[in-house]
Formats: sequence, C-alpha cells, structure tokens
Amino acid sequence: MAQQPLSSAAQPTDVYGGDEVSALVLDPGYCNTRAGWAGEDVPKSILPSFYGHSTATPTQNYFGDERLIPRADFEIRNYMNKDSVVEDWDVAPKIWEHMLINRLQPDKQTPPSKNGLNDDPKEKTQDGEGDVAMEETENQEIEKLLQENPLLVTEAPWNTPKAREKTTEVIMETWGCPAFWLSRTPVLSAFAAGKATALVIDVGGANTSVAAIHDGMVLKRSIQKSPIGGLWLSSQIRSLWETSEPKVTLTPTYMVENKTPVDALAPVQARLRHFPYQIHSSFRAYEEERVLTEFKESVVEVWNKPGRLNSPGNEEFAKTLPGRVFEMPDGWNQMWREQRFKLTEGLFDETAGYPLPEEERVGKNQTIPALIRAALEAVDVDLRGNLLANVVVTGSTTLINGFNDRLQNELAAMYPGMKIKIHAAGLTSERRFGAWIGGSILASLGTFHQMWISRKEYEENGPGIVEKRCK
Amino acid sequence: MSSSDVRDVLNLSEGASGTRPNKKQRLAAPRPNLKGLAREVHNLGGDNPIAIVPEVTQFKKRRFANRKPASRWEMRSFRNSARNDPTLILKHWRRIEEKQSNQDSPAEELKQEDGTQEGQAPTQDGMEDSSFAKFNAQVSVPQYSDDQYAQTLTSDTWTKDETDYLLDLAKAFDLRWPLIWDRYEWTPPATNGEANENGDESKAIVPLPDTQARTMEDLKARYYEVAAKMMAVQKPVQYMTQPEFALHELMARFNPEQEKMRKNFALNAFTRSREEAREEESLLLEIKRILARSERFNEERRELYSRLDYPHAETDISSFKSSAGLQTLLGTLMNASSKKRKTLPGPEGASPSNPAPPQVPVQDSGRRESSGPSTGNREPPATGTPTTASKKGQSQAQQSPAERPKLTEKEEAIYGVTHHDRLGSGPTFRTEKINKLFSHKSNQQQLRINNTLNELDVPSKLAMPTSATTSQYEQLLGAVNSLLEARKVSDKLDGEIKIELAKKAEREKANAPPDSEKSKAQEDPSKESAEGAAATTAEAASKPGSTEPDDDEEEGDTPQNTTAAGAQTEEEEIGVEGKAVRPGSSGASHKRSASVLSTASDKSSKRQKK
Ligand SMILES: Nc1ncnc2c1ncn2[C@@H]1O[C@H](COP(=O)(O)OP(=O)(O)OP(=O)(O)O)[C@@H](O)[C@H]1O
Ligand SMILES: [Mg+2]
Repeated sequence: MAQQPLSSAAQPTDVYGGDEVSALVLDPGYCNTRAGWAGEDVPKSILPSFYGHSTATPTQNYFGDERLIPRADFEIRNYMNKDSVVEDWDVAPKIWEHMLINRLQPDKQTPPSKNGLNDDPKEKTQDGEGDVAMEETENQEIEKLLQENPLLVTEAPWNTPKAREKTTEVIMETWGCPAFWLSRTPVLSAFAAGKATALVIDVGGANTSVAAIHDGMVLKRSIQKSPIGGLWLSSQIRSLWETSEPKVTLTPTYMVENKTPVDALAPVQARLRHFPYQIHSSFRAYEEERVLTEFKESVVEVWNKPGRLNSPGNEEFAKTLPGRVFEMPDGWNQMWREQRFKLTEGLFDETAGYPLPEEERVGKNQTIPALIRAALEAVDVDLRGNLLANVVVTGSTTLINGFNDRLQNELAAMYPGMKIKIHAAGLTSERRFGAWIGGSILASLGTFHQMWISRKEYEENGPGIVEKRCK
Repeated sequence: MSSSDVRDVLNLSEGASGTRPNKKQRLAAPRPNLKGLAREVHNLGGDNPIAIVPEVTQFKKRRFANRKPASRWEMRSFRNSARNDPTLILKHWRRIEEKQSNQDSPAEELKQEDGTQEGQAPTQDGMEDSSFAKFNAQVSVPQYSDDQYAQTLTSDTWTKDETDYLLDLAKAFDLRWPLIWDRYEWTPPATNGEANENGDESKAIVPLPDTQARTMEDLKARYYEVAAKMMAVQKPVQYMTQPEFALHELMARFNPEQEKMRKNFALNAFTRSREEAREEESLLLEIKRILARSERFNEERRELYSRLDYPHAETDISSFKSSAGLQTLLGTLMNASSKKRKTLPGPEGASPSNPAPPQVPVQDSGRRESSGPSTGNREPPATGTPTTASKKGQSQAQQSPAERPKLTEKEEAIYGVTHHDRLGSGPTFRTEKINKLFSHKSNQQQLRINNTLNELDVPSKLAMPTSATTSQYEQLLGAVNSLLEARKVSDKLDGEIKIELAKKAEREKANAPPDSEKSKAQEDPSKESAEGAAATTAEAASKPGSTEPDDDEEEGDTPQNTTAAGAQTEEEEIGVEGKAVRPGSSGASHKRSASVLSTASDKSSKRQKK
C-alpha cells in the first residue's frame, strides 16, 4: 500500500526528539547477546551467549551459532552465569567485539593491499609473519572503529558493582568509546513498551525478574528474581519425557544421519551418526536445548482458562482439548495433550508441574504471582495502582501461548478491583529483544546526549563513575 | 496472476464471461494508476475490483520534478551545553547549508528556518550546541551553611550528615519521592569518622535496621521542614510574595501522620477482597444510575417549567379594547398565522420547550380545541366546529378539513376532549380551581369543609387531579357545602327550639296550669317547622351521601348506579391518562399547540413525500 509520506512539518525528528549519533547498543543475556545500531527496530546481530571452546592447544573460541558444530575437544561454554551477569571477562569482550565490529561494521573493507587477493604468491611462504602483522593492524582498527561510537550496554538489575566497573573498563580502555552508558534491562523493556512507569515482568532464559519502574528508573527494593525461566521450563520438559510412558529419548539433531518417518509411538527408524572423537556433554546439552526450544515454540501452552490447572474439573477439561504432535529429530513422534499445560503450570503454582531434581525446584515465593506480590509490596502504596495498570511483559519465554491471558487471570485474582492492564508487544521480535529495543530508543534520543558518560568524565573519576551516574 | 487464474484455482466457471468486455472497459481506467503489487492485488479482485486507496503520488512527483542535485549531508560535530562535561563532542548527520546558493530560493529559507527552529546556535568556537540542551531542567534543593544548620535546623531524630544525605538524594532524584525512599540507604559514618568520598563500598554493605524504618513520610517531613525553614531564613515570611508564602505554608504544614493514615486507607483499598470490590462496584454503578436519573428528572422539570413559563403581554392592550382595534389585531394575527403556517413544514419545527408567540392561541380562537378539561363544565360540541383531538387528528384537519373524522362521544371521553365557549388565557392547574373553591370561604368554613371531608375519608387535596376527578370533586364540594348549609340551618333551628322550649317551661312555671294548653298550641307550628328543617337536612345529608361514592371508588359499599358511574369515571380516567402521555395534551397550554402542529405536520408532510 502506498505509504503516506510525512509532511516536512511533522518529521519524526521533531516529534520524537530523536537525534542519532551513531550509537551502538549491546544487550547481553544468558541465552542470547544482541547488538545493533541505536535507532533501528531490531538488533542487527544476535548471537548465542554460548560459545565453543576448543581445549586442544592452542585453545580457540568459536562465536556464532553456525560455528557450533561437532568438533573434537570441543566444549560449549557460556560467558554469562545463570544470574545473567557476565562471568568470563576474558571471553565477554571478545564476543562483544566480534558482534560490534565484525558483524555490525563489515563494510569497512580491508584495503586491497592487505586483503590477500593481491599478494604475490611467492611471498606465501612467510605466512606466519604476515598473519601477525595483520592481527596487529586489526587490533588498532578495533580501537579506531569504536572511537566513533557511543555505546549503551544493558545489564541485569542486580548486576554487581564489580561487573559494572569491569564493563566500563572494557568499553573505555579496550575499545576507546567516546561515551557510554549502562542501563538496566527492565527500564529499557519499559521504554520499549513506551512507558516510563511500569511493572516489568521479564521471563527470559535463565531467570524471571519482576521490577517496578518509576519515571524511568528501577525501584531497587522492588526487584524480584527467580530461576523459573526458559531453562527451568526445559527441565520440566525433560522431566516430562523421562516420566512419560513410554519414555521419550532426546536425540539431538546433530546425531541423526537420516531417518524414516514412523507412526506415532512407533519405534524409531533412524541411523545415527558416529564421531571418531568424544562429543563433550556440554555440546550435547546445547544441542538438546535447541530441540527443547522448538518443543516450547510448537507444543507448550499455558493454561489460560479460568482458574488454575489443578482446580477441580480443569484437568479433565484439558484432556479433551486438541493435542499437538511433536516429531523428534530422530523421527519419534507423539501427541501431547494435557501435558502441554502442566509443563508451564509451575510458573504460577509451585505445587503443580513435573518433578524436578532438588536443586532446580522452586519455592512458594518464586512463582510469578509471588514475585509480583513481593515487588508491589516493596513500593509505595500510591504507586501500586499505576503499576498494575502498566504491566509490561517481555522475554522470549512469554511467547508461549496463553501466557498473557493467564497472567491477567492471576493478577485479577490477586488484586480484585484494581485496574490491570498488560502490555505485551504483539511482534515476537519486540518481546524477544525488548531490552535491546528500549536501549535503541534511549540511545537515539536527543535529550539523552547529556546523559552519556564521556571519556573525560571517566578519566577524571575512574570506573567508579558508573555507580554514581547510572543509578 | 490474473482473475482467470484465480477462477481456475477456485474452480469457478468462465460462464460469467459475458461481462468481460464490460469489465475490461471498467478496469481500463484505474489500471494506469496502479503499479507493482497494488496492480496485482487489484487483478485478484476480478469482476469485483478491490477498493484500493489511491496512491498519493504528489510527494514523488515533486521530488522528480525537482531537478536540483541531491542535497548534501555531512557528519557534523556538535556538543551539548547541558552536560556536566560539555566537552563531549558527538556527531550526527546534518544537511550541508550552502551559503553561496541563490538567495531567493525557497529551499534556502526553509533551511534557515530549520536552523532557527532547532535552535542550534553556534557556540563560541563555532561548533553547534545540541537543540536538546534547552530541555535540561534541574530542581533546586535548599542550601544551608553549618551555622544556619546549627541555628534553625537541628533535630532530635536527624543528624546533619543524614540531612545532607537526604538533600543530596532529593537533588539526585529530582524530588521523585518514591525513588528517594527506594534508594535511601543511610548508614552513619564509620566510627573512626573517616568520611571517604568514593568509599561507598565499605559503607553500603550493612544498612542499619533503623534506616529501614524511615518511611517516605519521615523523609518528606524532614525535607519540607528544612525547605520551609530555609525559605523563611532567606526571606522573612512577611516579605514573601503570595505564591512563595503559599509554598512555605504548604511545606511548613506538612503532616506526616495524616499522610500515613491516607496511605493506610489506600492499602486497605488495595487489599480488599473480591466481594468487597464487587460491592463497591455495584454501589458505584448505583450512584451512577441515581445521578443519571436525577439529571433526567431535573431536565424534565426544567422543561416543564419552561413550558409553564408563557410569555406575558408586554404591550398595553387598551388600544385593542375598541372593536376597531380588535379588528386590526385580528387582521395582523391572521397574516402572521398564515405566514407561520407556510413555514411550518420546514425543518425548523419548533421544539416543545420553545415558547411560542402569544398570538397562536388567538389564532385558534375561532374553533377552540382544548385537549385538557381545564374548566369543569363540558360543553356539547359546538355546531359547525369540527372536533379534533389528537395531534394526528389535528394534523389531518390541517391537511384536508373534509376528511376530518368525527369523534363519537365515547372517543371523546377516551381522548379527553372537551369543548368550551371561553377559556381563560394561559394554562391553569386543575388544583388551582379547587383551591379557588376553598379560598372563597372563610377560615371557619374551610375548617368545617375539611372536617367533613375527613369524616368522609376524602383527602382535601386531590392526589391525581384528572378532569373526571376534579369535576367529581367539585360536585362533592358543592354537596358538602349544601350539607354544611343545611346543618347550619338545622343547628339554628335546634337552638331556637331549645330557647322556645325553655321559654315555654318558664312560662309554665310562672303561669298557672290552665295556660299550658295554649302554649302547646302555640308551640306546634314551630315544632312542625323544626321537623321540616330536620327532614330537609336529612335529605341534604343523603344527597351528598349518594354522590360521594362516585368520587371515591375505594368505598366499596356503593349501590348499583354508582358502580356504573365509577366505571364511567374509570374509563374517563384511562382516557385522560392515555392522553397525558402524549405531549401537548395536559394543562391546555396554548403556546404548545403550535409546536404540536408543526411536528404533526412535519410527520404528515414526510408521509406525503413517501
Ligand atoms: N517462541 C518461544 N516460546 C517459548 N520459549 C522460547 C521461545 N523462543 C525462545 N524461547 C526460550 O526463551 C529463552 C531465551 O529467552 P531470552 O532470549 O529472553 O533470554 P535472555 O535475555 O538471553 O536471557 P536472560 O534474560 O535470562 O539473561 C530460551 O530458554 C528459549 O528456550
Ligand atoms: Mg533478557
């Protein structure tokens, strides 16, 4: 359809106060790290926070999904810990560089004299030396490239002061950015939903967090965190498969060489691949996680009819609802019915769900309703009504069917008589990249120019400045 | 993909191809306008072209028409003077302004305008300042010196350090109290008294329990106290301007207890149960309904008042008192009304609340139709004057007098049509008439009438003064009057008889017994007359007795003929009520007849158009 051009009087810059300064936005999460240019609507570069690490000497790291393939002496690691705080400070800057420089600014061509195409074939013998030289120039180039770009990095609301300072050092010392800012993910998710005051519910990969945002700032006392997230849900699915009759074995895709379609519940007819080397368990776990995510996307649902799943009669009703068939990479397929609902029930009801090993079990006050209640109790009573009217839902795990309806039901049951409004972006990308999008908005605002922490301020105050400024 | 492909896919026959050339013709026109996807989509529609919002091509056209070279953009450095560190230089893309280009080009002007609009005034070194710097606003928090603190601000519960900390927070968070309270983590300085600028880490670890105890109200109370006192120190209260004083008062009067109580209430409201919430909701709904209803009542009442509020004659009427004067008046009125009639079918039908001009009742004076029995005495239909009742009938009469239906007596009763020779001007209340009957009497008499009515169990005010009940009531009052009259006479006679008897007894005592016969004979005629009087009283008494049940249907012990009468009144009442529902019947408001006329003729004219 013809798009109505904006008249010159109503150009977006005037309306939204945008003034882009080629800023970059980096959003590291436990499952994925996202990076892109401020002002765009989706991150240009999305990489798993998992990376491959070859233990053979010399050790080497592999970044990017396409490079995580079966290899000898190959482990999958994550530079973040399960609190979504950066743990491995050797690798984190490397991944981030890879994304911010190699992936986001690829148009900077290597000059023809150095791109290897014009090399004299006779000189090929001095390969090693040439490589070293190139690496050096590359390093210099890194410094140069980010000297142009202010950088906004997101962090979990409970990020430690240590990690914040470390981030600051990397940005300022290693990359030489002219300015930077650290911002908490719930604040940015609220911005992405167009709100400065909101109750942000982020059900992500490694954890779920609830935080109250007031006027663009997180209320620290309200921050609540629980391990129920994508990984917890994966454990639920594993538990379901373990306990179901017959037991379902999870064979990840990389192990299957070929398969023949079989009927539901029929024995698998597939040939598996064999590798002449040992596949590390972490690699297998990573690959399994992919299958589990697929299962979440296509089968898992949240019970969204009135009441909870274990309210009388509901379970029987769930059995009558249409099921979904899921086919495993090795061809095993099965219809899933009421189990689909039971998997997610633990998000809201700690007594429901499938049995988990002791260390993964969650307590009574770690379900989403409990987190919300605790978060609201920690803020001034005058704010609560407004917060409930501005509930922002973000994080990939909230994409499960029925999540928002259920949340609405739970909140209505908890706070009868309050006006409850849930804002969940309709576009999946906006829910998956909520924090990044908020950062993109923030960093492209004209009024944000005065917020950036500049290099000079950093040099005068040291890395401690981030604690003072990014409150 | 064309429409025939779609037809193939959908298994539709090409049978309707007879319309093809026709369709081609039709499509020929819009096609050149559509391009790309829009055209494809349009083709999908086949015989039923999809409505496509026409593309606005103006923008593109203008761009292509502009043969000038594309404008140049540059990465321009700028700074932001609102920053704490204004040396940060950032870069953004901006259009290059070509100073040497011809002056009269409008584009140049536009650019300049843009420049001023963005307010990018070049700073001293020629680098532009961010246009967003002006949005920087800061709150000012009170400042005080050590001496000032010692003099005015000391407090039992607050140390100076903590007060400093509070004010710092207030500034850092722009007085957003939820945030200040949220981040409030005061720990008294370490015992060695070493207050380190950056050494937050050592302190921030163990928040003392009593700092948690500081509520938001405590913080606010302290802040407002400090602010109010410092305000007074800087400018004594008597010199303050009005707003300053108001602010000072507001801060000085801050009552944390009241705030706490309010918050407790809010908390209660927050934790109420579902039932309470539902109850509150239903109460709110009820209130809404009541308010809406009272509003409607008020509206109706206002309309009623505006109806009753007939325009008073302002001009002197003495000139119309002679017959010649009347003649001229009639002439002008006839003119006016005929004009009026012409305009009646127009769209501006007068609304019921519009006060109609006073001539309208006069216009109708030839054949008076009162739709309400404003006077009790009913007249037989005047000969030659057609009887019309409802609006409908009236409008029909307007349209074609020949077809005017004649109402039977019964129908008239049903519609409450009465005919009068003369009517007083303006609307009157029926109760007014009854009141008149009362007000003519002396107080004594009124009292007596009321007593009698009480005896009969009839209220002295009619609850529902319909025409039937008022007329019956009038009759009743007449009967009561005659009864009272009769009673008076009989009382008088009784008194006389007693006097005579006493006289007689005395005379008997005084005279000798031989006189007794004579006195008896003398007395006889008086006795007879007394008896006659008594008889008439009884008659009079029985007369109202027989009419009374007519008025009061509640009294069940009525003879046959009265039930019939009762039935009749009932019928009448129904008629009156049915009529009262229609606007423009009750109260015989003459000014409204015009509007009724107009709406009626509106309707009929519409009907005619159809
Ligand atoms: N469509 C989907 N439906 C359900 N779950 C999904 C879907 N897509 C991804 N997930 C799950 O969401 C999780 C990743 O969520 P997300 O990208 O929000 O986490 P993150 O931001 O990287 O991590 P965190 O916020 O915990 O630091 C994974 O566990 C994945 O299995
Ligand atoms: Mg996240």
